[in-house]
Amino acid sequence: MHDHAEYIIVGAILFALGLVGFLSRRNLIVIFLSTEIMFQGVVLNVVAFARLHQHLEGQAFGLFLLVIAAVEAGLALGMVVLLFRRRGTLDAQAWSLMRG
Amino acid sequence: MAEISPDTLRTLGIIILLAPLGGAAISATLGPVFLRGRSHWPAILGVGAAFIAAVTVLLQVYGAPAGQSSILVPVYSWIGLGGGRNVSVEFLIDPLTSIMLVTVTGIALLIVIYSRDYMRHHDHPERGYERFFAYLALFVFAMCVLVLGGNFLLLYVGWEAVGLCSYLLIGFYYPKPQAAAAAKKAFLVNRVGDFGFGLGILLIYLTFQDLNYDRVFELVQAGVTATGAPIPSGRLTAIALLLLCGACGKSAQLPLHVWLPDAMEGPSPVSALIHAATMVTAGVFMIARCGAIFSASGTAMAVVAVIGACTALFAATISLVQTDMKRILAYSTISQLGYMFLGIGVFAADSAIFHLFTHAFFKALLFLGAGSVMHAMGGVIDVRHFGGLRSVLPWTFRVFLIGSLALAGVPLLSGFFSKDEILHHALSMYPVLGIMGLVTAFLTAFYTFRMVFLAFFGPARIPEGVHAHESGGWMIAPMLVLCVGAIAAGYVGNEGVGVFHKFLQPVFAESFVANHPHAVSAMPGVHSTVVAVASEQASHASFWSHYGLMILSGALSLFGIAAAFFIYVRQPWLASLARASWPEPYQVLWNKYYFDELYDQLIVTPARRLGRFCVGLDDYLIDSLLWMVTAVPRGLAFTLRGVQSGLLQGYALSMVVGIAILVVFAFSF
Amino acid sequence: MSATTSYLLYSIFALGGAGVYALLPRRGTSKTLIGALLAIAALVAFLVVVAMRFVVPDSSTPYFLLFSTIALAAAVRVVTHTRPVYSSLYFVVVVVAVAALLVLLQAEFLAVALIIIYAGAILVTYLFVIMLAQQVGAPTYDRSAREPFLATFAGFVLMAAIAGRAGDWRGQTPTRTIPVAFAETGPNQSTSGSTSNTRSIGAMLMTKYVLVVELSGVLLLVSMIGAISLARRKIAVEGVPRVGMVLGQAGREAKPF
Repeated sequence: MHDHAEYIIVGAILFALGLVGFLSRRNLIVIFLSTEIMFQGVVLNVVAFARLHQHLEGQAFGLFLLVIAAVEAGLALGMVVLLFRRRGTLDAQAWSLMRG
Repeated sequence: MAEISPDTLRTLGIIILLAPLGGAAISATLGPVFLRGRSHWPAILGVGAAFIAAVTVLLQVYGAPAGQSSILVPVYSWIGLGGGRNVSVEFLIDPLTSIMLVTVTGIALLIVIYSRDYMRHHDHPERGYERFFAYLALFVFAMCVLVLGGNFLLLYVGWEAVGLCSYLLIGFYYPKPQAAAAAKKAFLVNRVGDFGFGLGILLIYLTFQDLNYDRVFELVQAGVTATGAPIPSGRLTAIALLLLCGACGKSAQLPLHVWLPDAMEGPSPVSALIHAATMVTAGVFMIARCGAIFSASGTAMAVVAVIGACTALFAATISLVQTDMKRILAYSTISQLGYMFLGIGVFAADSAIFHLFTHAFFKALLFLGAGSVMHAMGGVIDVRHFGGLRSVLPWTFRVFLIGSLALAGVPLLSGFFSKDEILHHALSMYPVLGIMGLVTAFLTAFYTFRMVFLAFFGPARIPEGVHAHESGGWMIAPMLVLCVGAIAAGYVGNEGVGVFHKFLQPVFAESFVANHPHAVSAMPGVHSTVVAVASEQASHASFWSHYGLMILSGALSLFGIAAAFFIYVRQPWLASLARASWPEPYQVLWNKYYFDELYDQLIVTPARRLGRFCVGLDDYLIDSLLWMVTAVPRGLAFTLRGVQSGLLQGYALSMVVGIAILVVFAFSF
Repeated sequence: MSATTSYLLYSIFALGGAGVYALLPRRGTSKTLIGALLAIAALVAFLVVVAMRFVVPDSSTPYFLLFSTIALAAAVRVVTHTRPVYSSLYFVVVVVAVAALLVLLQAEFLAVALIIIYAGAILVTYLFVIMLAQQVGAPTYDRSAREPFLATFAGFVLMAAIAGRAGDWRGQTPTRTIPVAFAETGPNQSTSGSTSNTRSIGAMLMTKYVLVVELSGVLLLVSMIGAISLARRKIAVEGVPRVGMVLGQAGREAKPF
């Protein structure tokens, strides 16, 4: 019985790579790109599980994940633009103080 | 007249207390925004109501049947002490109380009225106008608590409250550094005395398990403590001397007199009311009230007499060379209080209270007169800067002259009678102290008229830029009333016509009179201190011993006035000659026997050094200990501070590390 | 999965982690070459192990190996590239490769949606933003990573912990529970063509998940309003405050006593 474990491993690696990028990169845009990579890993994962379980719930969840990703990208990029206009930099460390 | 009813007296007592207190509250709360220039009305009405009630009390007590003139009026139970005992708010109303009440409220009323104009300049109220009247009314309230209270605790409450009012009023012009310093000095010096006073009250409680006057005095007269055991020897002397500490502080006797001259930084009406007529006599009143305790101890009485006589002479000599009118009067007050102490010390408490009564009138009058001069001279009060004001301030001159005559002890004015009585008793008991009193009487006449001649006689001299003007009716009228008092007050105690001593007699019958060393042996049960007609009839020898003294002291005062006239009006160069011939004594007197410097060296400087030492201790020892204790959290914070970088990624990183650890653990087991 | 396979995978992850750590942008001497070699070695070893131990060989196996290689390599480049534009373009490659993998998993509709939404819409937005926030040259913050070692270590430990246990459910595969309502649109039908897959998902979304679909719509609307209101806001330009350059530097600079 083929359990598609290889897809799950690839999804996990994608997620981890995105995580590494999220944690270590300093450019706000790249940070968000890294989160998108994590989304890719998750989508791959849910679909592989759907395949494993032989039904479609996973694919449906993949679609909702896409919705969330779109929402997140829209808002996050809006905020990135806002922050960039305010400070003239995309460095995440420029926003380390807990005040406006 | 009918028997006195406790209910009436209770109501009257409460009016006497609450009317001035209410006046103070209204002046203080409504004054700043609403009443403003009319803030004197609550004070005048409150004190006036208290005065009327006090007069009613006096009439009631005076009309009481013999032997019932002293009555204790409970108001409510204040502090329960367990075992059925408690400290109540209660009034002790007797002749002494009623005389004090009338004196205090009467003089206060006149002075509050006087202040209405004094505290204005060109009909514009001074800054703090409402505050002044609030304090003044509050003072009347406190003084009435002191006088009315029926136990030592209320006495103490009133005692401290008048001290507070005195502090507030001395420091009335608080932006002025001297005024602030004088207020502080008065408060601290009084603290020294009051410490002893408090200890005395505690010792009374320890010995008698009660603070109520009647109960304590009863036990003292019975010679037993609360448990029925005999009072330990020396205990009464200790109590009396501790109480005397408080009296010396409040009544500015040696060696705690230093605050009173400086207290003249306050407005003149305050000097007149608090620092001449009423509050400073609280010590005298207290000793008279505690006569049972004092008179039971011969040592304490001797100490009182010696302190009184020494203070009287000492302050009078200082007055000889001072140039500030209010300071001359302040030293004169100290000197006159010394007379009162001397009177009590020789078991003549009724004479002392009589002198207190007459002194209140003429000294208040003199201070108000000085205030009137000061008002006219634009705040200048040093007699070197003005003179010949007789024509400029005719009314002030007249009332001031009458007050001076009374103070100098010129025959037929009030001061003469009361002073003479004290001298009489002093001479018959301690001749040395009596002679000191006689010398003081001469000096008093001399320095009083030195001041009068310097200020009012000679060519008119007025400070530059001052528009001298006679004071208005609000100021003149109270002074005229006081004039009448200064002239006539002596006659209430004059033998033959006077009733003062007879009225007071029940108060002191069991204490001063019964314990009088001569009276007990000579005439048991008969009070010889009362200048009674009977004793005079008994012996013609006493005619010369008494009237001879009268003539002598009258002559001394007239001689003093004449000497002052000769030196300061006829031959003014004599004063300069005297100053130049004896520079050292002059310097000693001018510097008030170097008392301030002595205290500065003995107490203030060491205390300041101790304070600096404590500051150093605090700065270096305590703070370094604190530093060590706080070093622990600070070190901890230092090591953990890096975690709180504010970077979201940093937090995410620690979160991921945590998740990784959790997942590894979860999959390992 | 056998212990040997697990330890093989762990070693490969360690190798890959070292490669990614070396590849992350840093100041000072570049270790790109070493990193690339390590990463490639790890990738090759990974593919070999996967092909040997996991994959049940069939016609799709070469495609799976090809697209996972592309996806992983491109993902590494997204994370490590110093220029955001290139990161974005590599991200497109990741998306396309993942979409291909989804096709292999018979999720054709999702694969197409992924390409349309990500490569078409989201990526374009990213590129716009990158153009808007363009900086001259490569700024410092693009050329240096923050805490690269700790981040890589944590990420790869997590990865190893998850992936190292993949396949452990073998033999515990739950019994198939196909809802009766979807019997005719069940997985068997979905294998017959993309139309059928799309139809089944559509039916499911419009029946079982209709509420979630509505909520998604609301969410999108809210996000749109939020984005617009953010964009319209007037901003006062300020300078960059002085902050610590690395984690905790601000704290270390402060004097404790």
